[in-house]
Amino acid sequence: MNSILEVQGIHSYIKQYHILQGVDVNVPAGTITALLGRNGAGKTTTLKSILGLASVRSGKIIFEGKEVQGMAPFDIAAMGIGYVPEHRAIFRDLSVEENLKIAERKKGDYTRKRDFIFDLFPDLQKFLGIPGTSLSGGQQQMLAIARALIADNHLLLIDEPSEGLAPVIIEHMMAVIRQLSQTITVVLVEQNFLVASLLAEFYVIIEEGRSVKSGRMQDLVMDKEAIHRYLGAA
Amino acid sequence: MKSYFRKHSILLITFAIILVFFAFAERGMGTKDFLITTLRGLSVGSVTFLVAAGFSLIFGLLDVLNLAQGTLYMIGAYIGWTVYVRPDTFVDLLTPLALIFCGFTLAEFWKWLFAKITLSERVRRFLPWALIAVGIAFFAVILPKYPLAIWNLDNYAQSPVSYAFAADQGTRLPVVPAVFEKIAPGLALTGLALASLLFAAGMALFGANPSTQKRLKLKDFIPFAAVLVLGLAAFFLNNTATEFLLALDTTWLFVIALAVAVIGGAGLGALIESVLIRPLYSRPIYQLMLTIGLSYVGIKLVQTIWGRNEFTMPTPSLFRPAPGATCPSTSLSAWFQDHCSTILVLDGRVRMYDEVFIPLVGITVLVAVWILLKRTRLGMIIRAGVQDRQMVEALGINVRRVFTLVFALGVGLATFGGTLAAPSTGLSNAMGESLLLSALIALAIGGLTSYPGAALGALLVGLIQQFVIKYGQIGIPIPFTDIVFKPSPPLVPASTVLLMVIVLLILPGGLLGKKE
Repeated sequence: MNSILEVQGIHSYIKQYHILQGVDVNVPAGTITALLGRNGAGKTTTLKSILGLASVRSGKIIFEGKEVQGMAPFDIAAMGIGYVPEHRAIFRDLSVEENLKIAERKKGDYTRKRDFIFDLFPDLQKFLGIPGTSLSGGQQQMLAIARALIADNHLLLIDEPSEGLAPVIIEHMMAVIRQLSQTITVVLVEQNFLVASLLAEFYVIIEEGRSVKSGRMQDLVMDKEAIHRYLGAA
Repeated sequence: MKSYFRKHSILLITFAIILVFFAFAERGMGTKDFLITTLRGLSVGSVTFLVAAGFSLIFGLLDVLNLAQGTLYMIGAYIGWTVYVRPDTFVDLLTPLALIFCGFTLAEFWKWLFAKITLSERVRRFLPWALIAVGIAFFAVILPKYPLAIWNLDNYAQSPVSYAFAADQGTRLPVVPAVFEKIAPGLALTGLALASLLFAAGMALFGANPSTQKRLKLKDFIPFAAVLVLGLAAFFLNNTATEFLLALDTTWLFVIALAVAVIGGAGLGALIESVLIRPLYSRPIYQLMLTIGLSYVGIKLVQTIWGRNEFTMPTPSLFRPAPGATCPSTSLSAWFQDHCSTILVLDGRVRMYDEVFIPLVGITVLVAVWILLKRTRLGMIIRAGVQDRQMVEALGINVRRVFTLVFALGVGLATFGGTLAAPSTGLSNAMGESLLLSALIALAIGGLTSYPGAALGALLVGLIQQFVIKYGQIGIPIPFTDIVFKPSPPLVPASTVLLMVIVLLILPGGLLGKKE
């Protein structure tokens, strides 16, 4: 299976802190890959490194056959990467509609995609005019995902989609991500192992800034010892 | 309804305070004085707003405290004055300025070029300095030989002061044509262009990243071609352009002066951002030092070119009565016929330029920038970027280009304000400093990154200054006593600072600032 994204032994810094000290991630095209690990292990920094938001000092990041490390974040994103950050980062001074429109990369992206988006998230259509941050947590998460879908992206980086959401909404979110993965490759950072194991096909475990284990999710689910050792969950 | 009041309580309280304040002021001084003082406050507020709005836009998006904003306001006034009073000098200067600037418009090309050719690490480190040194050497050789018919600062009869005086009297001192004596024109032109290309290439090399490969489009050459054509056209049509501008009605000349001030300011802003501020985004303290340094360099530069003396800028012909007109005008329709400098309202003389025209322009710009922020894609990106720059970048938006645009816009607003204020306040080297202080106080009152906050703060600062000045003349009778309190002149700036202290004690984020 050919990979859409290959991260090879990267060392990344945020300010002067050496956060990632050798992370390898291989993302096969058309799949969902979960980055697992404890709090502060470096999962979010891995996503930021892919986008160039954290400074990558060594190692390679290859997206669709092209080395992207060292490029400006907006140039990397414009190659076709959508980002749904932790805490959603909805723009407070922009209405819900503007939060979607700003993600246009070509003129008319929003008009073209709006039916598709509102099929996925019918709730958003009701609130187009109100400020983005007036939405509930779950709706903001949906808006953040919708925003990443406006432009024609081939890869979606989603950071903690289930954080702080009610179980019903998490289920909706999972259904949406599963549906999306039929057309877009997804890299998921998820603390909730249950959610991750139900969604993802592949996994990478990151511990203290290093990738320590990777493979197929169905093998990890069987490996109780590894789950306990790396994730501390039952 | 109830939630509406709660949501906008701060704004409503502010307006209530202003209303009470006005009610007292109106009783204390009579309607005539009150009206004129309010208009003056609006006028000062408008100019303060132009500087403050630029400052707040730049700080909001770029996190750069542009302390050179006051000096840029002053430079704007001097640029506008030069176009207005000495159009010949302006036309003469166009050619060398366009040639000096043309290299910088090729930034994309240089990056592409240096990504193509492979150089050893040593050459890569050494080359930018070498290019810059050669560029500067070229400039140093050619610029002094370039004939520029600027005024002679040492000779009083030919200094900016006397040019301004003559223009104010309705005559013009004879124009000195530029003649190439020390250097062949062709050599001067190609030399300057070459120097600019080398210098800009050196500067671009610093930020060049050999691993990125951009495709070069024909579009990237358009600004270069435009600047070059402008420079050459100004050279070949020098006399025609000068005669055209000298014969032009001063109202139109003033409009051109305003336009040149905005374009010049925006160009200067783009240059400052892309060359000086961009390498320092990770070092905020250095930026602060840089902008303070720039403001001193700017003042010294203006002193070298225009001298230390203060001088005036005549108002455009729209505000100058024709001989034989009955002035002051008694109604607006009479004013449109006579163009008097003042108009009678409630038996008080209202100055048309200072107290009517400036506030009108201020409000127009306020609305125009508001539409830009609310209705355009650029405005959307600015509003989003003020909150979360990284997320905007992660959407694939070239934030650096937006940074340059916003810096250009902010500086353009300040230089526009300078030219607008010049006929009212006159020109001096110190005009920027006090206005920067007023603008900063206005922003602290209104909220540092809020655009409506900048407008409200500037309005309050302008009104309070003018009312304190007026009360300094007529005095405030203290109720139940015979004492009449006359605020002394030092209380004028103190009163605005006092308001700022009160506002900040109650609302640390300013009146319309966001609570973080």
